[in-house]
Amino acid sequence: MATTLIRGIGIAAVALGALGAGLYFGMRDQATSPEPAAAAAINGLALPDADGKERRIDEWRGKVVVVNFWATWCAPCREEMPEFMKAQKEFGPKGLQFVGIAVDQADKVKQYAAEIGLNYPTLVGGFGAMELSKTLGNTLMALPFTVVLDRKGAVAHTQLGVLKPDKLDAIVKQLL
Amino acid sequence: MASPATSTGSPPKRRRADVRALVAVACFLGATGAFGADPKLLPPEQAFRFSARALDDRTVEARFAVEDGYYLYRDKLKFAVEPMVVAMAPPDLPAGKVKEDPFFGRVETYRGDVVVRLPLAKAVAGQSIVLAADSQGCADQGVCYPVNRQQVTLVVPAAGKGPGPVVEAHPRKKSWFN
Repeated sequence: MATTLIRGIGIAAVALGALGAGLYFGMRDQATSPEPAAAAAINGLALPDADGKERRIDEWRGKVVVVNFWATWCAPCREEMPEFMKAQKEFGPKGLQFVGIAVDQADKVKQYAAEIGLNYPTLVGGFGAMELSKTLGNTLMALPFTVVLDRKGAVAHTQLGVLKPDKLDAIVKQLL
Repeated sequence: MASPATSTGSPPKRRRADVRALVAVACFLGATGAFGADPKLLPPEQAFRFSARALDDRTVEARFAVEDGYYLYRDKLKFAVEPMVVAMAPPDLPAGKVKEDPFFGRVETYRGDVVVRLPLAKAVAGQSIVLAADSQGCADQGVCYPVNRQQVTLVVPAAGKGPGPVVEAHPRKKSWFN
């Protein structure tokens, strides 16, 4: 009987644990922890910038890199960009680097970047870039999607939807 | 080993089954995050459910059922029909809700049901046609989806036979619970 009871308690504990995990992950950002291979893929990602010059994400290794997938047709993306520009200005000297990846046409990206005076580089990616974001947890391939890399290039945070300023501050300050 | 107590009136096998059922339910809830504070985002084909029917040999009726909390951009709606010989005239899209966008200027959006009548040319009764619809929209939660293509295959009805059946691009799966 004791064995049965212990087994029962054990099973119940596992069940509660599973439920707890569900609660935790359910309330967390929808994006889940990416595989190391996906982290390697984003670090090695090479895309042209709005002027056609090829850039690689790992050229900013050693800094805290915030990779933001966005598009001009995505209103929530455009809403959060002024906050990113403020953070770039404030924390850039301490080693923070924002890099945009626009799922868009280069001419529109260039026009928009000029219009808002974007103070960080933005690369131009197509469907391949969206596929990459999927491996990092953006299973719906929706925008905006943001990946924060620490100074060693490891994925510290992923976020589907707008990354609010207070949350961004907390994440970045911990990594800088 | 002593035999299990029977004072509860529940046979041990049954009780074990009960515990297993509890575990299964808890794991299911855990895995789906059913108690999560954030409502989950739908994939675009569920947020913007596309269906169509051939009304007659000259007209197709396309429909988007946009879920609450989501919207489509009017100017991103595109339709195409295969085979190409069944040419389609540009449709009259219904007016949407006008919004001033700081970058794009005047944009129109759709919520709820969007019905578009598409005029066909040279369609033949009994012929199968594929209607593809590109759409792009966003969720009020603050995310947008890239252009999403959905398509349905319709059979053109004979003149005077009435409309064909509604064909859904992604039919709803039956739930386990009803």
